[in-house]
Amino acid sequence: MIQLLRIELYKIFKRPRTYISFAIVTAISFIIQLAMISDGKSFIAFALQGVSEQFDIHGNVLNGYLIAYIILQSLLMQIPLLVALVAGDSLAGEAGMGTLRLLLSKPVSRMQLVLVKFMGSFIYTLLLIIWLAIIALFLSLLLFGQGDMINLKSDAFILLLKDDIMWRYAAAFAFAMLAMTTIASMSILLSAFADNSIGPIMTTMGIVVVLTILSNLELPLFSLVKPYLFTTHMIGWKGFFDDPVPYAAIGKSAFVLVAYTLIFLTATILYFNRKDIKS
Amino acid sequence: MRKFSAIAVAVFCLSSFAARAVSGEQLFDLLRKKMLTVKDYTAEVKMKINVSYMRIPTLAGTLYFKSPDKMKLERHGGLSIMLKKNINLTVSNMIPTGSVTVLDMGNVTIDGQNLRVLKIIPEDDQGQIILAKIWVDENSMLVARTETTTRNDGTIKMALQYGKYISYALPDKVTIDVDVKDFKLPKGVTMDYNEVRDETPKKETKNRKGTIQLNYISYQINTGIDDKVFSKK
Repeated sequence: MIQLLRIELYKIFKRPRTYISFAIVTAISFIIQLAMISDGKSFIAFALQGVSEQFDIHGNVLNGYLIAYIILQSLLMQIPLLVALVAGDSLAGEAGMGTLRLLLSKPVSRMQLVLVKFMGSFIYTLLLIIWLAIIALFLSLLLFGQGDMINLKSDAFILLLKDDIMWRYAAAFAFAMLAMTTIASMSILLSAFADNSIGPIMTTMGIVVVLTILSNLELPLFSLVKPYLFTTHMIGWKGFFDDPVPYAAIGKSAFVLVAYTLIFLTATILYFNRKDIKS
Repeated sequence: MRKFSAIAVAVFCLSSFAARAVSGEQLFDLLRKKMLTVKDYTAEVKMKINVSYMRIPTLAGTLYFKSPDKMKLERHGGLSIMLKKNINLTVSNMIPTGSVTVLDMGNVTIDGQNLRVLKIIPEDDQGQIILAKIWVDENSMLVARTETTTRNDGTIKMALQYGKYISYALPDKVTIDVDVKDFKLPKGVTMDYNEVRDETPKKETKNRKGTIQLNYISYQINTGIDDKVFSKK
């Protein structure tokens, strides 16, 4: 199994397109950091309009912690696509290249193969999130310095003291990892259905976009389904930047994401075990 | 014996009359003089902002004050948040300077404390302060409360508690009542984590009350503060 995982990771990281994700994360982070260096003050002035009518805020508002939060918020839709680039290709890519049949002629069970593909996607996602942390958080801290972090919600102004932020980012990245694992497992399921990788990647993206819109629309029509959509819970990382931290809600969101991951993975194994593999 | 009693009664009446004889104007002048002994101070403070839409932990910092109207809160690398007003929120700034008309409103008892109420109307009609009402503890010659009506910032209420620095008329604790407006941003912009949404219905009032509590831990008084301290961003 370990040998199989090694081969899988070799295949993932040998492909140049794997690094496109890292390049995209770097590019988006750089663009936001550059924009904040050149015009961050007016952006902050606009965002804090409601508060600065009544309060004077002095100090390094535009610090690395806030920039990292803005980057993470901006990458909300892109990261699932980047995860799908690899996870969606895992089974469908093999089928498309005609190597799946050959692979299954080895003494490897289909369940083992699905689990290895899942673990490969998980490791790739983990590295992508670590890279995101380096580029978005640590580079921003280097460029903009430390400071207390302002978090604006639709009805609240939250101030977090600088010594009380790093653990929140660690927890938020861990939660983001969980959310992206859900996306990876869904992508692998879709990949099991297809014989080329474009379909699962596009379908994953389509599902994420539609469900994210549903999760964010403030219409009573959707309020019944919202709690059951995984996209509603994917932004649970934001809870760590609230005060007090809503641990119960975050726990519930984590549970929903783990449940979805297990459902997707089980469904993949069940389907793939019965699939008639022709290529 | 009867003579002695009559004299005692007369002395008591005279002394109480003498005590009351301090007019509102004299009392106000005495207070102002006492306050003017403090030219500047640097104080270690802890500030708690209680405003419905703000979730801010207690902020520790250094507060610089220089007479007559310079004030700055510095948080050693952190963010400082101060109420935006055209006048600084110190007791000496809540009381008008220059020529004033003092109206003695008599005595009231608040929290078991007998306080004399003075209404101060500045003669300069271009200043920030239109009217100030102060509650004075005559025994200690300290301002216990102020209610200042300003030209641009509405009415500012302050309650003061004294302790270690009573001789300088500098408070240990100041509570400022503030009116705050509602705060709203589009949910599409903030993309709130809906699981933590507060489902309790909120009142639709435009203005809400809040308080700012300043606890002064220690003061360094009249050490001379450079003006540059106040101009630093």
